[in-house]
Amino acid sequence: MTGRPSAAAAPDDLADARLGAAGDREAFERLYRRHVARIHSLARRMLGEEEADDATQDAFIRAWEKLGTFRGDAAFGTWLHRLAINVMLAARTAAARSQQRLVQGDHVVERAGRPKADLEARMDFESAIATLPAGAREVFMLHDVEGFKHREIAALLGVTAGTSKAQLHRARMALRAYLGGDD
Amino acid sequence: MKHQWTDRLSEYLDDELDAADRSAVEAHLRECEQCRSDLGQLEAVVARARELTDRLPAVDLWPAIVRRLGTAVEPVTDLTQRRARRRIAFSVPQLAAAGVALMLLSAGAVWLTVARNGPPVVAVDSAAPVAALTVSAELAAYDATIAELGAALRLDGDRLDTATVRVLEENLAIIDRAIAEARTALEQDPASRYLNGHLGRTLRRKVDLLQRAATLVTAAS
Ligand SMILES: [Zn+2]
Repeated sequence: MTGRPSAAAAPDDLADARLGAAGDREAFERLYRRHVARIHSLARRMLGEEEADDATQDAFIRAWEKLGTFRGDAAFGTWLHRLAINVMLAARTAAARSQQRLVQGDHVVERAGRPKADLEARMDFESAIATLPAGAREVFMLHDVEGFKHREIAALLGVTAGTSKAQLHRARMALRAYLGGDD
Repeated sequence: MKHQWTDRLSEYLDDELDAADRSAVEAHLRECEQCRSDLGQLEAVVARARELTDRLPAVDLWPAIVRRLGTAVEPVTDLTQRRARRRIAFSVPQLAAAGVALMLLSAGAVWLTVARNGPPVVAVDSAAPVAALTVSAELAAYDATIAELGAALRLDGDRLDTATVRVLEENLAIIDRAIAEARTALEQDPASRYLNGHLGRTLRRKVDLLQRAATLVTAAS
């Protein structure tokens, strides 16, 4: 993947990752501080605001367990980022799919008792990402925000590259309505 | 005007089309204002996605993470062994009855595990982090509330109209499936804070829904 460039200084990351792998928690905390905004933002957009804290914790715990496997041949930010995506996708295969159905189910109940205008209150662009159907949201996040190629997304999500392309287009078309301005 | 290329505009934008398709799209764009406008908006969405800025979590997660490092440093393959150690099992009704006593075990932690065909069982592992205790005690409390509300609703169900009852039943079925899936996932990864939280939130939704239903029953009577 290409990914967006990380703001963190790579040499510090490499040294801290080696220290962390040897059990140095302070080094690992420095890695956490440098990368948490990126990982939490990823979690927030992939899984939603409500689940982002827990998913971020799980990602850093997994990173701590796996620090010994970081060889330094890619940037630490890239390594951490891919690991976090795998943690989040593994959790979502079990839980987020049902979450999606649940949201739709709740919606039915809420529609029964609320005025229409209330439901269609305007949302900002970032909140709108969270309301996309799971497949379209994941592809959009991975492609347009995180910089993965369709081939890589297909492998991560277990779909075809064609499906990935179609989902991306669907997501972008839906998000046009939330570009802001006074439309 | 046939907009047969509308669905390929993202691929055009990303330069994913072969030469023949690309020139066909370009030919269409020259004569179709609608597709030109769609393309412009798609470009704006892509630009906006690149501009998204990262934000720190509202609360510092490090204290919670560092509490988990001690146990998590063991390889994942040892998780089953670790869980088997010093394990006391309760059924959920027992837990609800013994709720206060359980909260006193604050030096240990509670893991929620579920037998495939049995009632939920909560195991106490004194080597595990404290954070899990509140989560699982909360889960047990939800189970008790749900049982209570469910019983009340069955008694009063005939006061609601059939359409409302159908919507309620559909939503309860969705939530129950979500609860079952979350519990199965927790069997695979009992230490996952995400999955524990997810199950808690799903149970809370069920409580909310049952409470809303109870309000409807009261309003109808
Ligand atoms: Zn057209």
